[in-house]
Amino acid sequence: MTREGPAWLAEFQALFGDTIRTPLERSSGTLRAQLTAYDARLVAEAADGPATNGASRLAVYNRQYWFRLFDVLQSVFPLTSRLMGYGSFNDYAARFLLVHPPGGWNLDRVAAGFDGFLAGTLERGDADERRALVECARIDAAWHDALSGARWPPFRPSLADAARLLDAHLVPSPALRIVEEHRPLVEVRRRLFHDPGASPIELPPALERSRWWAILGTGDGVALVPLEAREAELLTELGERSVRAALSYIERACTPEERALLPERARAWLARSVEHDFWIGIRFDR
Amino acid sequence: MALRTQHYPHVFEHHPGVDYFEVISENFLDPAGAPRRRLDRVRARYPVVLHGVGLNLLAHAPLDDAYLDALCRLADDVDAPFVTDHLCWTGAHGVSHHDLLPTPYVPDLVELAAERACEVQRRLGRPFGLENLSSYVEFRSSTLTEWEFYSAVVRESGCWSLLDVNNIYVSSQNHGFDPDAYLAAIDFSRVLEVHLAGHARELDGTLVDTHDQAVASEVWALYGRAWKAGGPFPTLLEWDAKIPPMPQVLAELARAGEVRG
Repeated sequence: MTREGPAWLAEFQALFGDTIRTPLERSSGTLRAQLTAYDARLVAEAADGPATNGASRLAVYNRQYWFRLFDVLQSVFPLTSRLMGYGSFNDYAARFLLVHPPGGWNLDRVAAGFDGFLAGTLERGDADERRALVECARIDAAWHDALSGARWPPFRPSLADAARLLDAHLVPSPALRIVEEHRPLVEVRRRLFHDPGASPIELPPALERSRWWAILGTGDGVALVPLEAREAELLTELGERSVRAALSYIERACTPEERALLPERARAWLARSVEHDFWIGIRFDR
Repeated sequence: MALRTQHYPHVFEHHPGVDYFEVISENFLDPAGAPRRRLDRVRARYPVVLHGVGLNLLAHAPLDDAYLDALCRLADDVDAPFVTDHLCWTGAHGVSHHDLLPTPYVPDLVELAAERACEVQRRLGRPFGLENLSSYVEFRSSTLTEWEFYSAVVRESGCWSLLDVNNIYVSSQNHGFDPDAYLAAIDFSRVLEVHLAGHARELDGTLVDTHDQAVASEVWALYGRAWKAGGPFPTLLEWDAKIPPMPQVLAELARAGEVRG
């Protein structure tokens, strides 16, 4: 392990960090650095340049910090940001980043948790619009997790595995996410993936009934697999329980008509989930 | 040249004649991540060197051992001829700013940076190069010039230079120093690689190292003088935003040969 730097460096970096994380001001409609909010000790330490003073020079870093992170959040949440409009989206992004500043070297993790933050803080439009935007954020987050999730070899059950599958826990691929949509948002998100841009988009009309999707990272992209509602419920439960416990849970939730068909349907859903590489292994409770 | 996501289709289809590719280390540290699979395909045909932005060499806190372990594994996996990062800090007190940030240039930080860089090179078991920064602010408490600081760290660490000529030019314009004075301080026998990139000028005249356009004529001229002073050295072009089709990036890189004459 290497040694710490001198104490003055800790103080300098605390001041510098606070300064470049100073929120940008946007009352004029344009995001601007608030130079007067910078710590006077750091401003005094910053030398004037040939054309600009010390505070203005610190502002370059201040703007870069925010714009870089806004870019990251917009790229992880393209559906949400284009539906909200970048101005409004950036306001929420800034509030999120003030509460959850980036903590590690991995820029890809900066946006983690933004969908949950938005669900707890969104204050625009009517309840229907808010629900839709939160759903967009969940779909964007799921898409990003599927794209960036680790790719492990898929689980292919042996005969021995099949014989003891009921007592096993299926281990989902880290690149698998299950989402529900009440508007055809997955399709809009798919179009954005292939046709990125910055133009605003509008919320598509609500579906008659909600739909479920499995989003799975594959190679360089994602595969979208439409799911039946009970199938999605089963896949979600399989992530938490043994196969036997998940099937029991689903059986209890079924109507009598569904229950009669469940053995056959469940076998088909499980077979399909294996074919689609949703699992990377099995484990057993000790 | 610096390999970015947009280039993969061209690389896989056309196998351009490039001596080696440089990738951003942090994008590939997860051995099971999708990016690593693409990198393996590149590595099958080209040497790959690693260029980091997250080492945080000049942070107050000690180096991140977990990060270093992952970097060493990646370097071993791709058998990188060399690994580089920047002489700067990127985060402190638990917050990462994802930017390459300057410090005052003082002798006790020369010692700290040299110790840490030496340790990085020891753990990597391969050449480790430090890149000079482009910067937008200087500090009154500095007692060394940027080139004195940079050269001293490279010398005392036993590591190598990744000399970014665009960064020298950007900083020289922002701080009002002579870029040739910077070049004169460089020990070219320790230069692993030279970087070129484009920059942008803000409304107030500040030059920003944006990597979003062609190399400026002044930077080409400075590169020519660097070559005259210390060539030959490997030359790498970075184009990270508003990235044009790969043939255009390769054409820009080919200009380096014309400048060298």
